[in-house]
Amino acid sequence: MLKKLAFVGLSLLASSAFAQQKTQIEFWSWYLSPKFDDFIKGVISDFEKANPTITVKWQDKGATIERDFQATIALGQAPDVVNFWNDSTAAAVQANLLVPITDLTPLATLNKAYWPNVLNIFKIEGKYYGYPWYGYVDQGVMMYNTELLRKAGVSVSKIKTLDDLIEASKTVKAKTGSYGWLPPIKDPNGASFLNWFYLDGLPITQSGKAVFNSPAHAAVLQKYVDLMKADVIPQDLLRKEAFQLTNELYSQGKATFIVGGPQSLTRVKDSNADIYSKTKVVGAPLGKAKVQSGGAFSLVIPRASKHPKEAALFAQFMSNNTNQVKFAKVVPIVPTTKGAERDASLKATGSKDPIAIATGKVAGTGKLINPGFAAPKNTDAVYKNFNDNIEAAFLGKKSAQQALSDAVTFWNENAK
Amino acid sequence: MNRTRSYLTAYVMLLPALLLMGIFTLYPVLYSVYLSFTQYTALELGAGKPPVWNGLENFRVVFSDPLYQTGVLNSLKYLLVVPVLQLVSLSVAVLVNQKLAGIAFFRAGYYIPVITSISLAAVMWEWVYAKDGLINATLQAVGLLERSSAFSWLLNENTALWAIMLVTFWQGFGYYMVLYLAGLQSISTELEEAARLDGASRVQIFWRITVPLMRPTLLVCSLLSTLAALRVLQEIMVFTGGGPLNSTYTALFYVYSKAFQNFDYGQAAAAGMGVALVGFLLSGLNFRLTRENYREGK
Repeated sequence: MLKKLAFVGLSLLASSAFAQQKTQIEFWSWYLSPKFDDFIKGVISDFEKANPTITVKWQDKGATIERDFQATIALGQAPDVVNFWNDSTAAAVQANLLVPITDLTPLATLNKAYWPNVLNIFKIEGKYYGYPWYGYVDQGVMMYNTELLRKAGVSVSKIKTLDDLIEASKTVKAKTGSYGWLPPIKDPNGASFLNWFYLDGLPITQSGKAVFNSPAHAAVLQKYVDLMKADVIPQDLLRKEAFQLTNELYSQGKATFIVGGPQSLTRVKDSNADIYSKTKVVGAPLGKAKVQSGGAFSLVIPRASKHPKEAALFAQFMSNNTNQVKFAKVVPIVPTTKGAERDASLKATGSKDPIAIATGKVAGTGKLINPGFAAPKNTDAVYKNFNDNIEAAFLGKKSAQQALSDAVTFWNENAK
Repeated sequence: MNRTRSYLTAYVMLLPALLLMGIFTLYPVLYSVYLSFTQYTALELGAGKPPVWNGLENFRVVFSDPLYQTGVLNSLKYLLVVPVLQLVSLSVAVLVNQKLAGIAFFRAGYYIPVITSISLAAVMWEWVYAKDGLINATLQAVGLLERSSAFSWLLNENTALWAIMLVTFWQGFGYYMVLYLAGLQSISTELEEAARLDGASRVQIFWRITVPLMRPTLLVCSLLSTLAALRVLQEIMVFTGGGPLNSTYTALFYVYSKAFQNFDYGQAAAAGMGVALVGFLLSGLNFRLTRENYREGK
């Protein structure tokens, strides 16, 4: 009896000692709960099964993620894995808050798993700082309201370039009163308008200096200013992000085209099933340079993490091809991993569902993701000035040329 | 002995609240004062280094920044909402302080905007201010605006700030009305009746009896609304993000951007000190005006 009790006691001691050896890491995602709770919890559970000595505590953050990140570092309670995006990763690197991931995972392993163009998004001053997670392409597909196009007498087969799309938008507006396409003009976290230069093959920086103030650049800006003056694109694009406004207006039948990733259609499907049923999907028109722009979300490891090795293991697991393909089946993201483009489960064979078709079209475009330009130093101040100047041009307070020249001057003086 | 004991008991009772206030109010305030004299950015934070003393440098940088000057100017303009808000709240409180059938419906109705979330309110107000929204449609209907001249009120640098101030007014007046109503109901009706018997008119009763007795409430309401107007941030973020052309960029928005977008806590604290100083001066002015008037009233 005594022997039995001693055995039970020893077993309990051993198991509690084992439990104490478990390492807990904290993972922060960005705007993924509650919609993707099942997916995230499923991956965490798989990870914990594969790594029995590690447990993962998950928190989903919203708009305050960067603020909370700073605050927890100040308090000595930094999370171990954080879900950032292009610019927030760059800002955190500038503040020296992140560990280069090549300190934790060999570059050869990273190169084997992810597309190099996506890895390069998070390459800052020669070092890689983010495990590429899910991505998106700005010109992935074009989704359109068939009824509005029919009323306007526009044939979608004739829309091959951005200029064709602009012409189609003018016709739709004139004949139906609804907007056509809503191009991103400004946003609080980036410098969206720079994309239009990139898509037309115009340089943004050269040898580290901003150069987007040539007459050709000014002509591009003037083209969009004129579109807003003529109400072909809504003035509210200066106040709201294009994806948000496009979703609002498309769901109300007041916009005709959505250019981007199929994730936009999920919201349309939820808010207006009738318009969703009238939606068709084709490849997106491109600019003169025939390139696509896009970006990706990263999983970064803070310098202040107490368990960087375990964090790296988890970041790799969450962003591996199997889990990105799984995620792409839940929501139409673009996997940033090599191999996803060959995954048969992401092909929309025979489906007539717009989301399935769009997902099939963009699933293999991870290798095309390219933000077009790297975030400058002093990112927020430089982008704010750029956006202020763009806004001044749209509101008629500056000429296009003046606005771009002022933005270039500020950029070159402050992005140091 | 008894007196000392009762003082001691009072302080012991107050201690938990004072302790909490010390930790969560006094310490953060003093720490921000300290931060405003230091260099403390994400770089120091990330490296685990303490703030570095840099004297008045943050104040020099912030106060000479045209964006901060624009912010302070816009915050001062925003204060214009305070007298209007107080006057209308007090007037409405007088109106609903009547024994009429269904008056509770009006009291509750005026209070609804107070409990409406700003995101919900934004949906409605965006529709009101849109290019093809309620205001423009009304102006067009009465012939005061050509269809071709219609504009978005939130995208015009001359109207955006006023448009947001109207939302603040709409959301706030129910709250102050309730405070005034409580104040009005605490005034003894005997005083008004006596004045009426002495031949005082309604206007005289209001200015000579109601207003002087309401001065403590007036002080609280004007102080609260002044500080709320200085700290306006949520409405700006929801409606305009500081645009167009920084015309709605307030001083507190600058503090927010410095701290949580640029991660420069030293400069954010210095900018915050500027806002606090304005608030402090205006609070002093409020106290002074109401105290003097209160004496006069007596």
